[in-house]
Amino acid sequence: MDYDPMVMDDAEALGPVVKISQADSVRVKYELSNSDIAFANSLRRVMLAEIPTIAIDLVEIEENSSVLADEFIAHRLGLIPLNAEGVENLLYARECDCDGCCEHCSVKLMLHAKCTGDENMHVFARDLVPVGERVNQVLGTPVFSDAEGLGPLILKLRPGQEVKLECIAKKGIAKEHAKWAPSAAIGFEYDPHNKLRHIDLWYETDAKAEWPPSEYASWEEPPQEGEPFDYDAVPNRFYFNVESAGSLPPDTIVSEGIKVLQQKLAGLIHELAEGEGDGMNGDYNGPRSPEYGTGADGFGGYTTPFGNGGNQSSWGGAGGTTPYGTTPYGAGQSNWS
Amino acid sequence: MNAPDRFELFVLAEGEKKITEKVVSGMSNCSDFILLKEDHTLGNLLSAYLKMAPHVMMAAYKIGHPNVPEVLLRVQTDGSITPREALVTVCKQLVAMYGQLGREFQKELALRQYADQGEHAGGAGGAPGGGPSGQNGF
Repeated sequence: MDYDPMVMDDAEALGPVVKISQADSVRVKYELSNSDIAFANSLRRVMLAEIPTIAIDLVEIEENSSVLADEFIAHRLGLIPLNAEGVENLLYARECDCDGCCEHCSVKLMLHAKCTGDENMHVFARDLVPVGERVNQVLGTPVFSDAEGLGPLILKLRPGQEVKLECIAKKGIAKEHAKWAPSAAIGFEYDPHNKLRHIDLWYETDAKAEWPPSEYASWEEPPQEGEPFDYDAVPNRFYFNVESAGSLPPDTIVSEGIKVLQQKLAGLIHELAEGEGDGMNGDYNGPRSPEYGTGADGFGGYTTPFGNGGNQSSWGGAGGTTPYGTTPYGAGQSNWS
Repeated sequence: MNAPDRFELFVLAEGEKKITEKVVSGMSNCSDFILLKEDHTLGNLLSAYLKMAPHVMMAAYKIGHPNVPEVLLRVQTDGSITPREALVTVCKQLVAMYGQLGREFQKELALRQYADQGEHAGGAGGAPGGGPSGQNGF
């Protein structure tokens, strides 16, 4: 072995470490340490763009005498955050057997508002009402994060004006359209003292005096006066600030992001192992299984892609072709733990 | 009019395989892996961790065109393992690492919520933003 085994052994022995500095219903701030920039950045990218949520995708307008154009309203409706709890039980419309959309792959919402008074009327997301069968009772309901519980303002109506429309909300990911993004923003920073010189700060006379210190500056040692530049240094502490747009709570965004990324990797392993025959796959499950065992039952609520039958497809898509497709993971676990 | 569907960025077309291996004939123990409908998320992650892996001499990835969701990942090993084995090992290691991250995160979150409850005991419990808070037990 002509490489430095320390790099990997360290990571294996300790693995990523998380420290949460703030967690509430809109954001979670945490530090990810003992990690690698590629590892952290992949998680950030997945949380931004690849977590499935639900958003209005089709709007059928029956009546619109407001001042706003139909497509303008349709666009505004698409951007309204809808509760995505339980979206994993919803099918993608393109994968559903139905013709167009049905209750297994969509949620229908109605909006009917007419200004009958003599004052202008405000139409809020609250006026969007889910109708028909749903996967569960909350999926697809508009999210209200204001004190009055009105939700975002969709449009205003003058006396006599009316809108009547029907919306179809579908499951999707933000890679297709940003309306499906679960996160409003993800703060990602490392090296608050710029010791690694990854950024080149603009300044009038003195960068140090003109730039405010980072929120995390006190978390890391400031550079010593006259300290030589370390050419071998790599970033290993990352500060995340995951802010939810409302459709999913921020901690769920993190755990879902991890799950999506694991499923991506698991898909690759599955395809690569397929060509090799069962030898690879068997080899895999032997030594690794204890980790998955703890993953599935180590803590409540969160499941890894290997946790239960619902996610088994990422491994056992081919069904009975591997020995593991035929044995449910749940049964196997009892042997390992 | 002729714009492709946006989901073609991440949904495999009929008959496409997620990953295919092409042995590079000009180099020893070297393979190209073509990942369809993937991007820098996996490309950078895998190449970075392959570089750290034992027996891997070289690993690199490219995305030929930003509009084309295809990743080319080239891996050369020292001959004691095949590039495919190296890649599978790295993938498994990463799955385990992310699994551990998830567990660490949940553990820390539970601690954090416990601490927050202690601090705000008896205070106005409801965080601003009634909407999502309900789902989560905050």
